[in-house]
Amino acid sequence: MSRTIAENSMVVLLQGLQGQVTTVDLKNESTARGRVVNVDAFMNIRLDNVLYRDRRGQLTQLQDLFITGRNVRYVHIPDNVDIMKTIQSQLARIHRVRNFASHGGGRKEFATKTK
Amino acid sequence: VQPTTNTVEEPLDLIRLSLDERIYVKMRNDRELRGRLHAYDQHLNMILGDVEETVTTVEIDEETYEELYKSTKRNIPMLFVRGDGVVLVAPPLRVG
Repeated sequence: MSRTIAENSMVVLLQGLQGQVTTVDLKNESTARGRVVNVDAFMNIRLDNVLYRDRRGQLTQLQDLFITGRNVRYVHIPDNVDIMKTIQSQLARIHRVRNFASHGGGRKEFATKTK
Repeated sequence: VQPTTNTVEEPLDLIRLSLDERIYVKMRNDRELRGRLHAYDQHLNMILGDVEETVTTVEIDEETYEELYKSTKRNIPMLFVRGDGVVLVAPPLRVG
């Protein structure tokens, strides 16, 4: 399984909202309020425990909802979220994974180079 | 979310000058946003604080064919805006 990473994009902020309850306004004039399970680099969003309101105002409860990134108009950011801190911690997480194998030479038992 | 220079080199740099300022955003589907720009990226995804969204609709009177412009406003404390809906970004419009 491979994963596309967005580190130069504001999507990293949305990824930091995992676990929070937010409202997503869709381009088709409907809204979905639920807990953010996951957001990927394409802004595809997975929500659970969702209250979905269609453009006419009709409410539906959904256990699980997958929203394609292209369908997102807005994401309401909860009041308690610190934008800068969230972005910084997300970027730190990406760089930690990236540097995992390179710094320190990787696994020591296969070290053939001597400094 | 990128390291920045101090000179204006490309159009996106003009948006950088508006960071932390109030801006006006014209969006697709007859929407406008007025809010404080906290962050943006190359896709024009933006984080706006203290936002007022205005949605404008036109109703045509069936008898007189008059155009009736209505606008609906709402306020949102902090909003992430997906860039593909953005048409233009400008300093807030001043009247007069």
